[in-house]
Amino acid sequence: MMKTIKTTSLAMAAIVALGGFLAGNSLAADYPSKSISVLQGFKPGGGSDALAQLTQPYLEKVIGESFVNQYIPGATGAIAWTQLAKQTKADGYTISITNTPMLMTNYIMNEEIKYDIDELTPIANVVTDPGIVVVSKESPYTTIQEFFEAAKAKPGMLTVGNSGVGGDDFFTTLIVEKATGLKFQMIPFQGDGPSWQAAMGGKIDASFNNLGITFPQIKAGNLRPLVLFAEKRDSNLPDVPTLKELGYDVASGSSRGYSAPKGIPAEARDALINAFRKIAEDPAFAKTAADRALTLDMKYGDEYVAYLQKQEEDFAKIWEEVKSQYQNK
Amino acid sequence: MIFDAIINGFFGVMAPLNLILVVVGTTIGMFVGAMPGLSATMAIALLLPLTYPLPTASGLSLLASLYMGAMYGGSIAAILLRTPGTPAAAATVLDGYPMAQKGQAGKALGVSLVSSFIGGVISSVALLTVAPILGQVALKFGPVELFAVAVLGLTIIASLSRGSTILGLLSGAIGVLVAMVGMDNITGTPRFTFGNINLFGGVSFIVALIGIFSVPQAIRLIEKKETERKTVVNSITDRMLPTWAEFRKIYVTIIRSSFIGIFTGIIPGTGGDTACWFGYNEARRFSKDKEQFGSGCPEGVAAAEAANNAVVGGSLIPTISLGIPGSSATAVLMGGLMVHGVMPGPTLMTEYADVTYTLIWAVMLANFAILFVGLLLTRLSIHVTRVKDSIMAPLIIVLCVIGSFSINNNIFDVFIMLVFGLLGYIMDRLSIPPAPLVVGLILGNLLNVSLHQSLLMSHGSWTIFITSPISAALLALALFSILQSTPLFAWVRRSWRRKSS
Repeated sequence: MMKTIKTTSLAMAAIVALGGFLAGNSLAADYPSKSISVLQGFKPGGGSDALAQLTQPYLEKVIGESFVNQYIPGATGAIAWTQLAKQTKADGYTISITNTPMLMTNYIMNEEIKYDIDELTPIANVVTDPGIVVVSKESPYTTIQEFFEAAKAKPGMLTVGNSGVGGDDFFTTLIVEKATGLKFQMIPFQGDGPSWQAAMGGKIDASFNNLGITFPQIKAGNLRPLVLFAEKRDSNLPDVPTLKELGYDVASGSSRGYSAPKGIPAEARDALINAFRKIAEDPAFAKTAADRALTLDMKYGDEYVAYLQKQEEDFAKIWEEVKSQYQNK
Repeated sequence: MIFDAIINGFFGVMAPLNLILVVVGTTIGMFVGAMPGLSATMAIALLLPLTYPLPTASGLSLLASLYMGAMYGGSIAAILLRTPGTPAAAATVLDGYPMAQKGQAGKALGVSLVSSFIGGVISSVALLTVAPILGQVALKFGPVELFAVAVLGLTIIASLSRGSTILGLLSGAIGVLVAMVGMDNITGTPRFTFGNINLFGGVSFIVALIGIFSVPQAIRLIEKKETERKTVVNSITDRMLPTWAEFRKIYVTIIRSSFIGIFTGIIPGTGGDTACWFGYNEARRFSKDKEQFGSGCPEGVAAAEAANNAVVGGSLIPTISLGIPGSSATAVLMGGLMVHGVMPGPTLMTEYADVTYTLIWAVMLANFAILFVGLLLTRLSIHVTRVKDSIMAPLIIVLCVIGSFSINNNIFDVFIMLVFGLLGYIMDRLSIPPAPLVVGLILGNLLNVSLHQSLLMSHGSWTIFITSPISAALLALALFSILQSTPLFAWVRRSWRRKSS
């Protein structure tokens, strides 16, 4: 009798163990089997949220599970990304929207911010909004050449706005200064909006901004675009030259994509990357993106990793060069 | 053409679905507004995905009426619990709660309701008729002008310092100092963060506000002796709406505050949280018996509440005429437009006139919804004053914890809230008024950033504040305000009067 119980319990233990093993196995293979949390480092209604509202309904259709947004705004996203890198279980059920260059410039510029991109598994980049220089419709500058001439005549006197220290427009201005040898008076604002509004109201000479953000005002004729920091001209603004055409190798903008913590199961990573590939093939997705003035720039897996690493290297170098003079101001 | 659009918009909003959504939105807004920590901005963002299946105009009507409802809802908690439900209701506490303590909770809520209604209607009319003209004002406000607004705002501290000017200034200075915590917006240098990244973004204003007002209130309820409790019973059956005689005393204040609210709303970067103080301050400035303010004066409630509801229409003016959000809630609303495929920008009033004018009429109708839903809901909410203090005190603390956590989903904010609660309690014990601290906290960062930006723009020259006409006028007004509360002004007036007689 005793023996029977023992055998039975042994057998049961074996079954449980085997079942557990199978279940564990199938968990990874069946990814995802529950909803996925998306950490957002910015307030609802901002650029991150716009990306979430664009992609997640399509991702849900492909992946068959829902995405749950969790907003943890603060410190230009650093609170959410620190949580992603340091405290999140690497099971593929918590991912985050990662914005460049803030993802890297946060820790490049502040030693108190401890995470870095090596602690993440970049999944896919989705949109890149190219940089642009806009001036008021009443501005004396009608071309980028005129603007650069004026800057050359009065070094450090032309006032140019950006979306904030450490943001994409801030770094774009530094890159342009370095490439052209010009010097501007940089004015950081709290976001892209106040920056272009100051230019539109004639409070500052120009705003270094983003195409997608300023496009409605450009279309209405309130802002005049001077130059685009993209690889090639934009079909919406065929008359606006790129800085590359003028002989300066500068292409810059703000990108938004998705990343998971380091060490998520390979199955989860593949499933997520595939989901992004699938939605990118959907014409409805492309149309929705275009309707919302978001420029798609899909980069998957390793390509996205390389993109982030290149940017990290570039921004670290620029910051190293300028930080002493900038912080003394 | 504009006239056609206005008429079409009116018929658009009269569709049964839209009418229902306006009432639903207003009701949700009132509830959200009444809960400390839940803000209109957050509720709009959370409800946004639910509006996807709805027609654009209907979805936006829901969200806009929610915004309007929340502005009134904030006063319910402010009056009954001494806890502002939204930052925009902070000034309502000053006279609303003393009224409730005198057994006039119903009347205070009634005054708030009527003022909110009138403020909202006046701002909706402005939105409907002169938005394209007034919208241009938003562009006139750059860093230089915003600095002047911040300076003018800080002079309010003087009139909020009941009793001791020194203690008031101390409180205001603490507020400005706390506003300096965090990463400086211009240099990127972290200040007073002690290496903690949770402080990089600064102290969340709403979190501090919840702590400063609510925790001391809870402790005060606990400290009260059993015999002192419930000596004042708020009559539930009393008349809520003010009588004609009462209304005649406050209507000038309501109209003045409405215009203050509209303009504060138009200026980007200032919203209901600033407008309520401006409205309150001006009401006190023009009042014959200034000493009544702060001790349960219906005029004080009316001034703050008319101003914060007028902000809704005001902040929508630059939003729809230029695509510039006038406040954080309208910024989220603008994001909502984009999701619905409407490009926010200067084409809203032409290309998307049908959607835009339906939205404007929804804002208008939301005022009426506030009046009707408000009368029902508010009558119920007065029952809150019958809850025993021993139950109410812990309940307030629980609400504070939930509220401060839910703002950024960050447990750190709960500790910040408790620290400010303790600070508020100490200040209460030392009779340091909390209101100047709140004003300092709201305006401190604006002051810091706009000053630095202005000086960058002028390459270090301070004359930029005089050469801008708007800034010069506002700064002169600020100087006048300061002089008005010094003995010098009284002396000048006395000698002038002597001369004329």
